[in-house]
Formats: sequence, C-alpha cells, structure tokens
Amino acid sequence: MLGEERRAHHEGALTEPASSRLVSPDIRDEFGLETIDMNMGPQHPAMHGLLRLILELDGETVVRCDPVMGYLHRCQEKIAENRMYPAVIPLTDRLDYFANMHNEHGYCLAVEDLLDVEIPPRAEYIRVLMCELMRLASHIPSIGFLMLELGAFTPILYAFRERERIQSIFEAVTGARMMFHYIRIGGVKADLPPDIPQKIWEYIESLEAHFQRDFVDLIAGNEIFISRTRNVGKMTQEQAVEMGVTGPALRCTGVDFDIRLDYPYSVYPELQFEVITDTAGDVEASYRVRIAECLQSIRIIKQCLEQMPEGEVMGDTGRRIRPAEGEGFGRVESPRGEYAVHVVSDGSDTPYRVHYRDPSFCNMQLLQEIVPGHYLPDIMPIMGLVDPVSGGWDK
Amino acid sequence: MPQVGQGILKGMGVTLQHLFGQKITRQYPEYKRDLPERSRGMLTVDMDRCIACLQCMRICPDHCISIEQTKRDADGSGKPKPYPIGFVIDDSRCMYCSLCVEVCPVNCIYHTEEFEAQAYNRLELARQFGERPVDPTIDPKPTVKKKKKPTREKAPRTVERPRTGDEAA
Amino acid sequence: MQTVLNLLEVEPIRLLISFGAVLFLVLNLAAVLTMAERKVSGYIHLRYGPNRVGPRGLLQPAADVFKLFTKENVSPGRSDLWVFLGAPIAMFIPAALVWIVVPFAPGAVVANLNVAILFFVAITSIGALGVVMAGYGSRSTFSLLGALRGAAQMISYEVPLILSLLGVVMLTGSLSLVDVVKAQGDTIWTWYFLPQLPMFLTFYISGLAEVKRVPFDLPEGESEIVGGFMVEYSGMTWALIQAAEFASMAVMSAITVTLFVGGWQPPLPFLDLGHYNWAWFGIKTALVMFTFQWIRWSVPRLRMDQLMDLGWKVLVPITLLWLFVTAGAMLIF
Repeated sequence: MLGEERRAHHEGALTEPASSRLVSPDIRDEFGLETIDMNMGPQHPAMHGLLRLILELDGETVVRCDPVMGYLHRCQEKIAENRMYPAVIPLTDRLDYFANMHNEHGYCLAVEDLLDVEIPPRAEYIRVLMCELMRLASHIPSIGFLMLELGAFTPILYAFRERERIQSIFEAVTGARMMFHYIRIGGVKADLPPDIPQKIWEYIESLEAHFQRDFVDLIAGNEIFISRTRNVGKMTQEQAVEMGVTGPALRCTGVDFDIRLDYPYSVYPELQFEVITDTAGDVEASYRVRIAECLQSIRIIKQCLEQMPEGEVMGDTGRRIRPAEGEGFGRVESPRGEYAVHVVSDGSDTPYRVHYRDPSFCNMQLLQEIVPGHYLPDIMPIMGLVDPVSGGWDK
Repeated sequence: MPQVGQGILKGMGVTLQHLFGQKITRQYPEYKRDLPERSRGMLTVDMDRCIACLQCMRICPDHCISIEQTKRDADGSGKPKPYPIGFVIDDSRCMYCSLCVEVCPVNCIYHTEEFEAQAYNRLELARQFGERPVDPTIDPKPTVKKKKKPTREKAPRTVERPRTGDEAA
Repeated sequence: MQTVLNLLEVEPIRLLISFGAVLFLVLNLAAVLTMAERKVSGYIHLRYGPNRVGPRGLLQPAADVFKLFTKENVSPGRSDLWVFLGAPIAMFIPAALVWIVVPFAPGAVVANLNVAILFFVAITSIGALGVVMAGYGSRSTFSLLGALRGAAQMISYEVPLILSLLGVVMLTGSLSLVDVVKAQGDTIWTWYFLPQLPMFLTFYISGLAEVKRVPFDLPEGESEIVGGFMVEYSGMTWALIQAAEFASMAVMSAITVTLFVGGWQPPLPFLDLGHYNWAWFGIKTALVMFTFQWIRWSVPRLRMDQLMDLGWKVLVPITLLWLFVTAGAMLIF
C-alpha cells in the first residue's frame, strides 16, 4: 500500500520535529479555537498498568501530556525498612514484575556490597543465566505490547506463549512462576535441578527456530507497522541523555550505554556479547533493538550453559545477616534500563534505608518531552518505546 | 511499486500457518499439569513436630503466621517446653516466599501442591492449625523499632560512581 | 397450499415476507459471525476459542444474546438520551436494508431494483449518521473523537468506493445487481475481478474502511480511544451496534461477491448446481468474510492522517485512472 516513494515522501514530511505540528496558542486564540482536555487512564485498556495521562488535545494533536503516577504505590521502600535483610528479597520481586530476577539481583548486589561476601562462581553463572532468561521473558512480551498498542492483537499471544514456556523453566528451578525469591544474599537458593540445563538448551533452540517467523516476519516488514512507528517518538541522543533514559530506549538513539559492560558485575566480563544500538531513535528502532537484544540474550544463555562450573551455590553469609554500618550499592541492567539499589545499614538486622532507582520511573520523563506534537494514536507506540511497568514506577 | 504489500502478505502467511497449526491451550479445570518438585503451594504445618520457636513468625515479611505459645509438658519428660497452642496461617496475606520453610529448624512447616485458595470471606482464608483459634486480624509483630540515623564515619564501600548533581537521593 | 403459494406472488405480500426472511437471516448472521470471528481469532492465536457452551461451543452466541438481553442498559448521566438510544437503530437499519437488493440466486432477490447499485451506495452512507449520533449522544470525549474519526473516514471512503463501482457499471451498462451477475457469465475468467483488478482491490480496501474493520478501525481504536463511538454503550444497545457491524461486514462481502466475483455464478460451467446455485454465493461470501477476519488478526491499525492519505492520494487516483482505461478499452473493442 505504501510504496518506497511514498515512504520516502512520508519521511521527508516528518523529518522536522513533531512539535512543528503544533499550532501556536496565539493563532488558536485569534481564531477562537479550543483544546480538549482528556484523561487517559488510570483505567484504560491499553495503558501500561495504572498510569494517568492528562492530555490537552488540539483535534487529534497532543499539545500537552502530563503523566500522573502513584496509583499503584505500595510504599515498598518504607516496608523494606521494617523487614530483615533476607525478607526484603521477596518484596523486590513485586517491583518491576516483568524483571523480577533483575530486582532480586540488584538488591542482593547492594547487600553483598555491604557484607563483603564471596559468591561462588557457579552461583554467579546461575544468576546471569536466570537474568538473561528473564530478559527474554520481558523483551518478547514488550514487542507484543507494542503491537497490541498499534491495534494488532495476535503478536501478544505468540509472545506470551514464549513467556509461559520460560516461566515453566523458572518454576522448575525456583518454585514459582513469577515471584521467584531465588537469588539470595550470597548466592542462589538452590542449585539447578539436574535436568534443567538440557531443558533450557532445548527451549532456546526451539525459540531460535521460530523467533524469526513469529516476531520478525509477522511484524518487521509490515507496511502499516512501518508507517505507524517510523519517525514516531523521535528523540535525539542529547534529549535521551538529558532525561536520564537508560535501556533500549536510550540505546535506540545510538548511545551504547549498558551496565553489563560499562559497570560490569557478576560474570558478564567473562561472556561474549554485543551492546545493540540503533541510530534512528524512534519506535521502530526500539523494536529492532529489542529483537537484537533477544538474540544476544540467547547467545549469553548458551555461553552460560557451556561454561558453568561445578561447585557450591551459596556463599558463607553467617546465620544472621547483620551488616556493619555503611552503604551498599548495586546496579544491574534490567530489560528496561539501569536498575540500581542503594541500601544504608545502621548495624541492625533491618536496613536503615533502601532506595530503588527503577528504569520505568526514570524513563517516564520522556513522555512529557516527546509526546507533544504527536497525534493521539501515537501516544501508545511511544509508551511501547518507553515500555514502563506499573510496579516499577510506583514501587 | 513491486514490493508494496509484501510485508503484510508475509505476515498474513504467518497467521495462516498458525491458523492450521497445533494449539497450545490447556483446558485448565479438566487438565492440570504436573507441578515441578520445587513448586511452592499453600503452606501446611505438622503440629506434632512444631516446637513453637516462633522463627517462622519472625521472618515472615507479610506477618501472615500468628502463633500463640504456652508452656506445656507435652512429651511427659516432666519439663514444660514451649508449645504452640494456637497456630494460624493467613493465606490472604501469604506470598509463598518460602522464608518460613527455610528457617524452620524441625521442618514442620512446608509447601503443599495445593494452590487454589479461594473463599467468600477473607477471614476464611486464615487456616487454623492449633487447638485454640487465633484471631488472624491481629498483627503478630506490630511494633516498629525507632531507628537512629547511622553515623557516617565509615566511607561507603561502594564502587566509585559518577554522581550528577540532580540525582534523586 | 396452492393458494398460499399464489399469495406469495402478490407483490406487497411477497416483498414483506421475503424482507422478513432476509431480516431473520441478517440477525442470525450477526450471531454466527461473532462465533466465526472468535473461532478464527482463537485458531490464529493458538487458542481454541469458545468451546464450553454446547457442542464445540456452538451455543455461545445464544448465551451471549441471553446475557446481553438481561444486562442493564446504562446511559451516561448527561447523555442526549434520544440520540443516544437512536444511534444503534440508525446503524442497524441501513446495514439490514442493503440486503434487499442482494441477489442470492437466480430470481431470489427481495427487490430487483433497476437502480440497485445507487440504492446500495445511498443506504450505506447513512451508516455514518449512526456513528455521529452515537458519539454526539454519549457526551464523552472518547466517543466524540471516535465519532469525528468515523464521520471523516466513512465519508472519505465513500468516494473511492463509488468510483470503483463505476467500472463494473460501465461494463454492464446497468445499475441492477441481477444484471451485473448475469453479465459476468459462468466461468471464472469472465468475472469482473480480472479485468477490473485495481478496481476490485480498491473496492475491497474501501469496503474494509467503510465497515470499520482493522486496519481501518480507527473509530473504535480500542488501544487509544478505548471503544470510540460505542464506549458508553452496554447491554442490548451495544449488541445492536455489534449486530450492525457484523451485518454491514456481511453485506459488504456479499456486494463484493456480486459485483466482482460473479455472484451466484459457478466458477466453471459444469459446476452449475441449478436451483442450488445460492451455495456458490454463500461459499464466496464466506471466503471474502474470512479474508476480512484474517486481515483483522494480522495487521495493526493505521493512523488518521495515513488513512486519509491512502484514501485521497492513492485509491482515488487509481480508480480514476482505471476508469479512463476501462472507457478507452470499451471504445476500442
């Protein structure tokens, strides 16, 4: 339908920033034009979790977009101050419920930083293996969500088929499908069951076999998908860096910032993988980045399975975890960006203060910046670019 | 104009393949898959073995276990020992984190394969195990210690990290 | 018995009875189509679709209708009640009325109007009125946006829809749908979709837009404006809107089949079923409806400006060009 020439024409029309589509308020006043205020959410079928956007619309063009958060606030940071150090881990599972493993990992890194505990290498490999599986289980559905927001219902179900299979692996390893409570201070809860490495290997190969068909062929070439996402949510590197954006939303603008390489933790320095970047900085680029990161995750998982050493999975933390006074800091690359935890200890067996830096919350700043000037239906793909998770931004 | 619509047709080919492909739905109430060995279901307590050490109650992040303790000479040794006369697990609060299972010194609290917890009343989910019922609405460990701010004498043992001025504390 | 059959020959009675039969068909078709839609979507999604009520879930539409009948009809507090309640009716009547001119089989047509195509065009464009009424009556921002989109879309796509019909009208020299079918002959290569291929595709695409199906379901746009013009409807009024949507989808497939794919005509002469030729009409219509559903579950939605671009800058020029080509070919041969 939309041929190459037309596409080129379309790109030419849209290379100027979206804000140039806005009518200046003076002109609006002169002709007596009014804008409509609209509340999108918190009860909205396509909104990511409970987010409310206060929109000012000039026809279909968004003039102003104010995100309002707090509808899922659970005081996680305050609750953590009244729980013993190990008992905070199951609570971190509830933060970003699409990256539970990363939440646990970040918290455990912070507490281990306080404790100076030696972590056995096998535990580190299991952690990385689980985190990369989690990344797959988060990136694939987020591609599905993007398509759902564009009006195509089918990819989300293919995505959730993959997520369910990964969750079954998690269930066999950790005992739960979502709220794992698996990564512990000093290691992991238990060793992998003996048949699991083989199962993961088989699953990864079956995923590779139809990944191209279900998530690339179905979506990437679709002319409507391209026309809906190319040059939508376009941002520059400077904008993204200024807004504190991390993760795929930053990498799609061309900044190769990845905690796994820039601030290496766990066994990532021993593994071979690439940081995926794209130059376009629009929704389509973020889709491409996510697809490519899935393939990198598969690569890391394979290396983990091949290189995994034998041995203990739990370091010696003592019977009671009671760190000395001080501060601990841990940061991991969660599927949405930099997830960091800051723990302050006062020497008792409960933390004095826990702070989570969640990428969903920080990336949300983009909305106010890049949405104005876009059309109302473009808000949803931009949400797909930012890909926030309700549990993450509200904590 | 040769490749116009090719992407759409390719995608439609994919959906057509799935239309005739193998379905993956499992018909839940009739079909129940085998739970893995480590699967964490609803908790249960073996009251004969419980020594009322209260460790599970202390570690529980959700305050869902309440134990009422007395001294009783249960084994006839002539020496009264702590005895759990009331034991309640409130499943409406439990988050299946298995901390209590790990902390139990006599392995008397453990997960079952049961996971379908449902009731018409929230209080019905509080399952009583002891001789005497315990009111599940009372928080077993309500007090919150007042903390004093830690002294910052020690340098933070963190990796050096670039700090920008507007970083949220 | 004979007198009853004779009575059927009397014009007003025949018209009323046959229209009643067609109305019955339309209402049931909507139920069958919801079922088909859910089954097709389920199978594409690797699910089974509804399979609990009755054998293989076939009684699901009946259960749905029962549920919708017993559901409270909620209207927003500040709605314009008469407009609000009238909108589903204004949507359903045109969708049902077009069936009058659809020829199911030789001689099986409620009214063989000699201006049937004009009638079809005129009645279909009333559908936009219902959408605007629904959006205006609901007094909701989402509804209003949906109605504005719906009005713009349906009126814009009338133009390529009508222009793409004209090629067929020129070739046939008649506005009667029965004549159009008869002129197409009983072999697959004499049907109009081959010589009029660009017109056929244009008609198909603008038909999709006219019945508000994906990728042109902007008036509904559930991911941005929730349900668009029908966001405030519930119970029977909502069911009526759904019935209207499915009926107009069915009628659009039927008209596509009639105009371009030979109506009741068999694809090859030896496949002629005589009195049972309506089966060919049914099979073709079902196939076209299946492609509607197949597209719906495969592609995302367009945006308003892209939709307008496609309509005015691509489809209209194509149809105009092909009108000239058709006219030139008719002049030469």
